[in-house]
Amino acid sequence: MISKPVTHRALVIITFLLLSVQVFSHGDLTKRINQKTKEIVENPNDFKLYYERGFLYQQHVEFNKAMEDYLRSTSLGNTDKVLMYRIAEVNYLSEDYKNALSSITAYLEVDSINVKAKKLEAQILFKIEAYKESIAAYHYVMKTMVDIRPEDILEYTSIILAENNKNFSKAIDVIDFGLTKVGENTLSLQVKKLEYLKDSGQVEKTIEQYNYFILEYQRKEFWYYQKAAYLVSINKSKDANISLKLATATIEKLDAKFKNMDSILELKQQIKSLESTINN
Amino acid sequence: MMKKITQIVMMLFTVYSFSQTEPIATADVNSIHSTTSINVERGPYLQSGTPTSVIVKWRTNIATESVVNYGTLFSSLTKTEKNLTLITDHQVTLSGLTPNTKYYFNIGNNKGVLSQDLTGDMYVITAPAIGTKQFVRAWILGDPGTANNSQREVRDAYYDYVANAPINNGKTDMMLFLGDNAYNTGKDAEYQNAFFDVYGDMFKKSVAWSCLGNHDGQSADSATQSGPYYDIFTFPTEGEAGGTASGTEAYYSFDYANIHFIILDSHHSSREVGGAMYNWALTDIQNTKNDWIVTLFHHPAYSKGSHDSDEDHRPIEMRENFMPMLEANGVDLVLNGHSHSYERSYFLNGHQGFANTFNPDEISKGGHTVGSTGHGDGKTDSNGAYEKSIEATEGAVYITTGSAGQISGGELNHQAMYLSLNQLGSCVMEVEDDGKGGQNLIVKFIRENNEIDDYFTINKTGIVTPNVVKNKSGQESKILTYLEDSKLITIAVNKNERLKSVKFYNNIGELVKRSRKDTIKISKMSKGLYVVEITTNKKIYTESVTIK
Repeated sequence: MISKPVTHRALVIITFLLLSVQVFSHGDLTKRINQKTKEIVENPNDFKLYYERGFLYQQHVEFNKAMEDYLRSTSLGNTDKVLMYRIAEVNYLSEDYKNALSSITAYLEVDSINVKAKKLEAQILFKIEAYKESIAAYHYVMKTMVDIRPEDILEYTSIILAENNKNFSKAIDVIDFGLTKVGENTLSLQVKKLEYLKDSGQVEKTIEQYNYFILEYQRKEFWYYQKAAYLVSINKSKDANISLKLATATIEKLDAKFKNMDSILELKQQIKSLESTINN
Repeated sequence: MMKKITQIVMMLFTVYSFSQTEPIATADVNSIHSTTSINVERGPYLQSGTPTSVIVKWRTNIATESVVNYGTLFSSLTKTEKNLTLITDHQVTLSGLTPNTKYYFNIGNNKGVLSQDLTGDMYVITAPAIGTKQFVRAWILGDPGTANNSQREVRDAYYDYVANAPINNGKTDMMLFLGDNAYNTGKDAEYQNAFFDVYGDMFKKSVAWSCLGNHDGQSADSATQSGPYYDIFTFPTEGEAGGTASGTEAYYSFDYANIHFIILDSHHSSREVGGAMYNWALTDIQNTKNDWIVTLFHHPAYSKGSHDSDEDHRPIEMRENFMPMLEANGVDLVLNGHSHSYERSYFLNGHQGFANTFNPDEISKGGHTVGSTGHGDGKTDSNGAYEKSIEATEGAVYITTGSAGQISGGELNHQAMYLSLNQLGSCVMEVEDDGKGGQNLIVKFIRENNEIDDYFTINKTGIVTPNVVKNKSGQESKILTYLEDSKLITIAVNKNERLKSVKFYNNIGELVKRSRKDTIKISKMSKGLYVVEITTNKKIYTESVTIK
């Protein structure tokens, strides 16, 4: 008779515990941080727990707290190089580039060939305007990384141009190298190549690059317009007119459902406006 | 007494613990182990399906050759694709396939078959040719990877649904995963428990696609495109499946029938306007000619569930940066996860503010809901379907459906949502003919208890209406006549004008032909679009013509 209510209470507690596990498995960062804090209270000298909570804080964009935990983890004896990397990363994210550099340098003394660490080193060096050193570090990344992303190539070219804002030939070489690595039609790289060709005043190659997009893509109306706008900017009004006519003809050939989309309506206005500019 | 309670606790936790990890046996899979030591530990599963190709992946416990036998007859798998390198993670591409065709297959090594299904339930149906208008069914799973019974109940409810569906039963053209496929950190072992062990039956006959979730991103490193997520999945990076080449598996696109799917990475990749992903997505969406556009990414543009789209920076950036561009280019359906609930919007356009700025009374162009039914429930048997047409191209439904493995509550009161439920479930999207020359895109939310708690329809008219060609000859001008059969173009200027010259510019604006005649032979000219500049003594006319 006495055991019944106790059992009920026990079941309530059990249910609560099970629900708690369910909640924590959700992975919400705040809850996971709280859970990790409880674990730290129970094991205050476990450096692994401080590292883990620090990483959660880092993901939660609480960099000061992350750094406190990382330093605490270090002071408790954590010598794992991953911790060294995280410290460098948090310093970088906190815009404390001086400490970021010393942290990543320390890391690279332990593991000099880690491509991710070299990339972070290059990014830190870029921020402190040590461009030549940044380029050297990123060059290593380019040579070594197995699966380069378009974003890496774009970042590398921006560093090259930061070091010398006239060095478009090298930036374009890097883009071309990137196209061989990640795919010859990678959009973001082809667009950046176009930008660099324009910025370096290479008219014929710029027009060729616009033609690449026109030939490569099944819908060409936006590219015709952009080419026309460029041709106007370099005073080739007649060629621009041809391109605008092609843009208009291409729009007319679109399936009806596309013709009333906001983007096409806006494009039509832009074409009209550019035609007006050319003809006046 | 305490002993008794302890026993109860132990027992319940044991049950709970097993429910979290133990895979349910799949009775219909018949694996044959021709050697005693080599076993298939994972898969087979299908990746990057196109009308003419598919990738088959699987894992063995011991390094061995990779062999796929396949054919259109279950009893006669006459074709073989193999890789003789000894590996454990196998990947074989079947190419040169016929669109919309069922190919049975088995997997093995040089010594024999390692896994097959004796009931014929291991197959791939290749995608239809791009642009084909036909029935399509996609199973949509958000945040499924708990490996617990909730996940399995949601799965089984869909299996029941599709087995008993009134049309095309048993057919699942694709699985769309919205990220967080394996808790807690997307490790390989977690993927085994929460992904392969749970959906194995479907993986061997339906192509799986995914976007990156934040939990997947804890073990996957997008900076180096490494880690379990990137190892497990193989997505098209060079436009192989019909989209624009992104150069990365973090974001990509593909076509299936007349639907264009755009998969974005809301977790690791930059979400800035003008960033690499934005530029790619803009070009990609402006390059599709398909009738429907569906976008998926993990962090919800609109949610008041376990995550708040007014507070988290990723949802805000996706909503403010990407949604205006996607909406301007005709997106129809946006699928998100992250919040572990089901939240489904009205028919929206142009709402990029916080939840409390949503104004349902705005139904004009650029307003927050679209069309006369836009602020309704979207049900054909109630307020009516959401409507799109050749003239009215705006409007998209946003669904945050992250409860395929667990529910986590939240305020669930986002004003842009027609319905918000703290319930387990997954979604099914079905595109079908509306019987009137258009199509319906129907989405249903299928609860773990087999109930359908929500459904809606987007009706799009005019889908089968191609661009109206002005006449059979493709003539696009009054002054210029294209005579397709005789391969001639004739120029007829006004009576008081004299023709001086005719110039043809090709599709990249190059001058390719000149003439002074009013009848011009074009038999040697390439097919395609030309601008024709016609100069008279009084005026210059610029016309266009498509030579066929």
